[in-house]
Amino acid sequence: MNNIWKSAKLDFSLVKPYVKTICFTMILPLAFAAINRSLLTGISFAMCFIAMTTGYTFSITEKNSMERLYGILPIRKSDMVMGRYLYMMIMGFIALIVSLIAHPMILTLLGETVGVFDFINAAAVGIFLFALYTVFQLPGYYKLGSIKGRVFMYIPVAGFLVTLLLITKIPVGESKLLFTVIHSPVLLMLFVVIFAAAMYAASILVSIKILKNKEM
Amino acid sequence: MKLIISNISGVPIYEQIKQQVKSAIMSGDLQAEETLPSLRTLAKELKISVLTVTRAYTELEQEGFVKNIQGRGCFVLGRGSELLREQLICKIENNLWEAISAARVANLSEEELHHLLSILMEEERDE
Amino acid sequence: MNNYLEVRNLSKSFKGFQLHDITFTLPKGYIMGLIGPNGSGKTTIIKLILNMLKPTNGEVKILGFDHVANEQEAKRNLGVVFDSNYFSDEWKISQVEKSVSAFYENWNTQTFSEILEKFHIQPSKRVKELSKGMQMKLMLACAFSYDAKLLILDEPTSGLDPVSRDELLHILSEYIEDGEHSVLFSTHITGDLERAADYITYIRYGELFFSGGKDELIDGFRIVKGGREELSEELSKKILGIRNFSTGFEALVRTEDLKPFARLHVEPATMDDIVVFTSKRGELYE
Repeated sequence: MNNIWKSAKLDFSLVKPYVKTICFTMILPLAFAAINRSLLTGISFAMCFIAMTTGYTFSITEKNSMERLYGILPIRKSDMVMGRYLYMMIMGFIALIVSLIAHPMILTLLGETVGVFDFINAAAVGIFLFALYTVFQLPGYYKLGSIKGRVFMYIPVAGFLVTLLLITKIPVGESKLLFTVIHSPVLLMLFVVIFAAAMYAASILVSIKILKNKEM
Repeated sequence: MKLIISNISGVPIYEQIKQQVKSAIMSGDLQAEETLPSLRTLAKELKISVLTVTRAYTELEQEGFVKNIQGRGCFVLGRGSELLREQLICKIENNLWEAISAARVANLSEEELHHLLSILMEEERDE
Repeated sequence: MNNYLEVRNLSKSFKGFQLHDITFTLPKGYIMGLIGPNGSGKTTIIKLILNMLKPTNGEVKILGFDHVANEQEAKRNLGVVFDSNYFSDEWKISQVEKSVSAFYENWNTQTFSEILEKFHIQPSKRVKELSKGMQMKLMLACAFSYDAKLLILDEPTSGLDPVSRDELLHILSEYIEDGEHSVLFSTHITGDLERAADYITYIRYGELFFSGGKDELIDGFRIVKGGREELSEELSKKILGIRNFSTGFEALVRTEDLKPFARLHVEPATMDDIVVFTSKRGELYE
């Protein structure tokens, strides 16, 4: 655990000079929330944007040929990978908390009322989207590098469109399970967390395998 | 003791060290019981390989000029030591050979050569 | 444990390049030069040692630890300097310490600042503001701060001026003075190693040509020079590499084969001579 944390801290120190840029990407979704008068829209965009910044660590290490530093540090490759996931999840968590405070404030100022259900709903969708983007992205970056790896970002987009297409084909009444989940805040949150955890576990395993076999 | 290492003399560096230590001992610059500079320090200061200095010191020890005591350093053996004496006698012989062959060229008789040696010895005593 | 680095039967195949059966040992307390022309496989060997590449065959032990099975233990006492730095350009020197020191239990902050001072590196500067020589010293300062027992340098002198190269050699001979540290130093500038290296490992086209004491390597070869008519067919057979020109020839021969050449002009070979003449033997048959 200790080494994972050190590795995550190393990632933070990489992006430290770019913190302003990252903060800026958090302001734009506020505008989306305000225009659309919707907390869900704002949070969704915020989480997608922060998911895109996970590529920073990869492009900075590539730009400085830092794979050589990672190659000499006395740390297991699996710890390195898990450190990066930890860094990324912390970034996502911070973005979620900040957005969940800032967005309702803006919306309230604009005269909208934000209910508890809206709040939980938005959080669940935010987590879901963030997880969906990152679980594909990171293995992609490990495999192809920070530029080519970006292609993997579009996998969830494509998947999303397909899901939307399918969902319109399923009459909601017939799928009782889906209906219950969507309309129960607790179940929805539980479902999202379990789903995200499972996806991350798979993604981490794939990334470790890629890095272990990678020749630098 | 001074050591001057030449890069262009063509003489291997360990040989240069050996020769200079030897002549320092013979000339009395290095006295018995004195220690040679530590192997690794000498290598660092002369910017040469540790192995090169090791070889020079080992060969000096084999030839009876110094004694290496583990952990304490390399000590110069006295000029009275048997081997050193042999080396010195060898050197005298060589020089005498040279004197003899020069005498032949100059047509100097054996008696005259002995006489010359006596004169030189006397001069050295007077000094 | 007396061997700080053991490389055994190391092989690696790439498309168009093969590193074949490399074996050498670096004992504690000495400097070994890894030499060979560009593209001979020096960097590949170093990357294999660091487990950045997967060998096709062979094993590596760093301070007695297997470099894959016990990677962490092996790397804890290992310092590495590459031809360019591996820190983030944007980092300040103090941030370099903060980021890297966490990984080494015996990192000594005081040593780090003392060495920075000795090397004239200002802690407030950013990595990108340092000259190439300074960046190399920064990597050394890190390795010295956790008292790395084995230092591996990959082409550290390429692109450095003579003053920095001399400084580096001085730093390295100070580093091994106590007999507890070793250095593996890859370079194609053999002049850097002519004096300070204890051992030489010479790689030629992916194959091991020689590994052993530097003096043995240099004593093992001689340069002979003569007029063109003095080079009989008999003599040609003994030659390892030759340069012909209108007024004569220069050739490299093994010292043990020197006898038939005795009438010619013979002089000691430098490491450069050995590398140059043995790396283009093809010219002999032109």
